[in-house]
Amino acid sequence: MNYEIEKKNLIKKGAEASLNYGKWFNKEVIFKHRLPKNYRIEQLDKKIRTSRTLNEARALIKIKNYGINVPCVYEIDSEESIITMDYIHGEKLKDLIKKLNEDQLEEYFKKLGTFISILHQNGHIHGDITTSNVIITPNKELFLIDFGLHDYSDTIEDKSVDIHLLKRVLMSSHGNCFELCYKAFLEGYRSCYQSKFLEECESIISNIDIIETRGRYIKKEKRR
Amino acid sequence: MCNIDDPLTLYVSGGNTIVSAFESGRYQIFGETLDLAIGNMIDSFAREADIPHPGGPRIEKLALESKKYIDLPYIVKGMDLSFSGLYTATKRLLKSENFGLEFSLSDIAYSLQETSFAMLAEVTERALAHTGKSEVLLTGGVAANKRLQNMIRYISNEHNTRFEVVPLRFAGDNGAMIAWTGILKYLSNGEDSIENTTIGPKERMDNIEVPWRN
Repeated sequence: MNYEIEKKNLIKKGAEASLNYGKWFNKEVIFKHRLPKNYRIEQLDKKIRTSRTLNEARALIKIKNYGINVPCVYEIDSEESIITMDYIHGEKLKDLIKKLNEDQLEEYFKKLGTFISILHQNGHIHGDITTSNVIITPNKELFLIDFGLHDYSDTIEDKSVDIHLLKRVLMSSHGNCFELCYKAFLEGYRSCYQSKFLEECESIISNIDIIETRGRYIKKEKRR
Repeated sequence: MCNIDDPLTLYVSGGNTIVSAFESGRYQIFGETLDLAIGNMIDSFAREADIPHPGGPRIEKLALESKKYIDLPYIVKGMDLSFSGLYTATKRLLKSENFGLEFSLSDIAYSLQETSFAMLAEVTERALAHTGKSEVLLTGGVAANKRLQNMIRYISNEHNTRFEVVPLRFAGDNGAMIAWTGILKYLSNGEDSIENTTIGPKERMDNIEVPWRN
């Protein structure tokens, strides 16, 4: 056993955090570091980074307990705002989508639907459900990642907006298989909803269409 | 006027708080307030604190006298903002028994500005990363605030983008702005009859097609 913590190469530098690959007690991990922002005063900067780091880590830990595949959190450094979590091997659904046949697509999107359904029924909003934030491992397991925009909510509106983002991504980036994927997703979402809350489930789904009619979400093709 | 061509715009006034940019034939909204506009929030606070209208410049001056930050609600949801909780919290501070003892009006003004402007800077930065625009434009009445200008300039520099502020006398509602839009629309779409011309005060900017930009 190697009891070392080693930070290796930078994987991604986002607007809010940087992701580094590394080793943590022989495990392959990701270090997610929320970086200080010098435009805001230190006190406020510290508060924002600490609370977001804690919120994300807590959400990951809770969500894992529902049986949803998310990275396991090993360590939280609230002082530096770093979360150490599992490195998930595999491919982003975004990159894999072109290589999958219809049956596989259906299976994965159904699975994604059940995961989001469980999240929503427990009052969690992922906040950024895109095909970049879903990883398929070599043994065909589906993992949800990046809970940086996670929030707690029980409103129909927030849940609809959560799904609507995925719908927009599917339409704009994966137009040719949109119908199939979205249908499978909704099927999985519905199938996992507790029967006594089915009415809520249908309200969430029908509210997605209402969101679309609002100005800011009008489809790009329609706009030309 | 600002020599700007295709910016990401942060529009901050008494009626609007919008991060927008031109894309696919329209001025698309990337982020906006979910409740109060930033200028409205500042003015309302000023009224509560018995500061005469316009409250913004006076609050900016008061804020310069303080370095004491009081914890206030910071609400950013993705690229959208909410100021109502912040407003309520500052109102509560004014009525608190510690007001004038543990903290002054300057401290509240300072904390109000630091919190709300940091929220604006965060969503602007996120939208900048998302759109990849190479210019940032700050406009609206609140654009006159130097602290806000400095924050937005800071993130613009970090992303290697040009930063400009619309001069204050053109940054608010004015006739020239409306007339110029009218001219552009006339040149591209031709005449509109008076009967077909109405006032739409609640119209969203992303509902309007802008053919003259293509």
